[in-house]
Amino acid sequence: MQPKDYHVILDSLAEAGSRPQVLFRQAGDGFLQVEYGENPRFNLVDSFRVLTVNGAVKGKRIPGLFETVPGIRTNLYHFDPEVLSVRKLIGEIKEVEESISEVMEIEFESRLITLPIAFEDSETKKCVQKYVKEVRPDAPNVINGYNIEYMALCNGVSVAEIKNMVCSTEWYNSGNGFWPGGGFFWPLDPRRAIVVPKYNPPRTWTPEGTVGIGGPCLYVYPTPTGGGYQVFGRTIPIFQFSQKHPLFKDNPTFFRAGDRIRFFEVPEEEILRIYQHVHVETDYEYDIKSGTFVVKDWLDFYNSGSVQQEVGELLAKQEAGTRIAPKV
Amino acid sequence: MLSVLNGGIETVVEDWPGRIGYLDNGMSASGAFDNVALGLANLLVGNSPGEAGLEITGGYFEAEFGMDTVISVTGTDMKPTLNNQALPLWESVKVTKGDIIKFSHFGEFGFRAYLGVGGGVDVPLYLGSKSTCLFGSYGGYNGRKLQAGDVIRFGPVTQKLEALAGRRVKESARPRYVREWTLRAIPGPNASPDYLTEEGMDFLFSTPFKIQHSSNRSAYRLQEAQGLSFARPDGGVAGSHPSNVLDHAYAIRGTLNICGNTPILLVADGPTLGGYMCALSVINADLWKIGQGTIGRDFIKFEYCTQEEAIQARSEQRAWLSESSLT
Repeated sequence: MQPKDYHVILDSLAEAGSRPQVLFRQAGDGFLQVEYGENPRFNLVDSFRVLTVNGAVKGKRIPGLFETVPGIRTNLYHFDPEVLSVRKLIGEIKEVEESISEVMEIEFESRLITLPIAFEDSETKKCVQKYVKEVRPDAPNVINGYNIEYMALCNGVSVAEIKNMVCSTEWYNSGNGFWPGGGFFWPLDPRRAIVVPKYNPPRTWTPEGTVGIGGPCLYVYPTPTGGGYQVFGRTIPIFQFSQKHPLFKDNPTFFRAGDRIRFFEVPEEEILRIYQHVHVETDYEYDIKSGTFVVKDWLDFYNSGSVQQEVGELLAKQEAGTRIAPKV
Repeated sequence: MLSVLNGGIETVVEDWPGRIGYLDNGMSASGAFDNVALGLANLLVGNSPGEAGLEITGGYFEAEFGMDTVISVTGTDMKPTLNNQALPLWESVKVTKGDIIKFSHFGEFGFRAYLGVGGGVDVPLYLGSKSTCLFGSYGGYNGRKLQAGDVIRFGPVTQKLEALAGRRVKESARPRYVREWTLRAIPGPNASPDYLTEEGMDFLFSTPFKIQHSSNRSAYRLQEAQGLSFARPDGGVAGSHPSNVLDHAYAIRGTLNICGNTPILLVADGPTLGGYMCALSVINADLWKIGQGTIGRDFIKFEYCTQEEAIQARSEQRAWLSESSLT
């Protein structure tokens, strides 16, 4: 029997300037994982880099590369090893990694999508009621039949402030996953970073278009499904299996990695009207603006004294809120 | 075409390699759980090996043919009958309009049977594949398993039925079904020394794990593993358990997810992304064996394999799934 070699890092690039260390990890005979930094950290800058490199590598149209799956600090390359050797693929990725050393130089294509939201709508209230009835009658995260008051409690703010926080930041998609078409969105304005625990145990049903937050991450449920995020409102369709509406003609999915979304509040009737115009009349026009995300601008904003001061104030409120909020 | 009289436990339309290219939409490849049995079933009736057929899990599927055609049954022996006469496996058979095919339950070995039909199952291509994703309710026949009353259409057969009937898979080319399945696997992306200790990896590569009842087309859950020794005390920013990582994409099909102390093979309809480490990946050429693992009964054992051997195994499988396996 041959000796087993458990070392899975096939190659690496050392840390250079603001570029983190790059690790190339084997993941079977048709996948390669590229990871930033040996020690896991949560930093959106890593995700910006993932998407920038991802775009450049895909732009090379390398024969044998099927697809890529970006995560917050990793990218998974899916390829045909009989056409494209893992060594050749690593070489192609390294070339791109080495050409982008400074994070300050990073810019990537990023659409800004504006979505209406109805807070505390009747449909998402139904899924909370169902949860209480069928899964956990004593759920501490359900107050007055809903999650939004619990969210406010955990963050040491009012319900009105929660709504305002949701609507006054752009939310950045680090990549799709969990359920077909769903994106993982992070607040680009750290002063609006709501943080809440997830359901325990999860829900068995969530209506289409439900907007929820779990940890610091916002998710729009593309189709009816289970789920574990605290729910607070409903937006318009972001997925269409039938692909009848022109937006979904080429792909049933709307969100792409790197997209930003911004919410504005509308009455529930408006949301229901738009559902009709997306799924039945198929004539609703989505508000999408193409754009470029400039990391330098964002870092300047993020690191500015006034922003950081408000972040400190929010963290103090959240700490106080977490102390009094019941644990799930 | 055929009319479904009884959908059985779980019968779905699947092809191979499934729906490739949509992982970053959160859509897994789906596809036949056992692509070898499907491939041989297709070859028998004159189709290309990746054509869509019916995947019958557990058993009790029953249907009436609405036309003359040629069919084949492969996979586990569910004691199929045609008009109550025993129907041979690994062989193409001509059927006549009005014939009734019936399956009993899964056999002594293996868990899934495949029904190949001349011209293949004709359902609309959805994102490039006819495969059903049960987890997401799309693809295949209305995104779901078959039920009584469904009418399944077939593609056109270009050859004479008489010429296609009576073909057999050579004895030597029939897959060997067992109760303890040895799956060749490659360590990573989260292995030793940073995630598991060397002893932890040795444990994974030497222990037979029982397949749990809760397994399905998304995940094959294996028995809890107390012998997994982690190389770190916790998951850092990702969580309190050392199996936690910041969400990363899963190398599906075939990666072994470690959820707490439970190893879970992520398969056909599996999740595309999540927050648990993955210790090894079953090689592409051995994925089919997972589909024949009977839940609550069979065991899975991982055998260490290199990239080079895995690539070699791909070309061997391609040779296996060809006319040369027929007689």
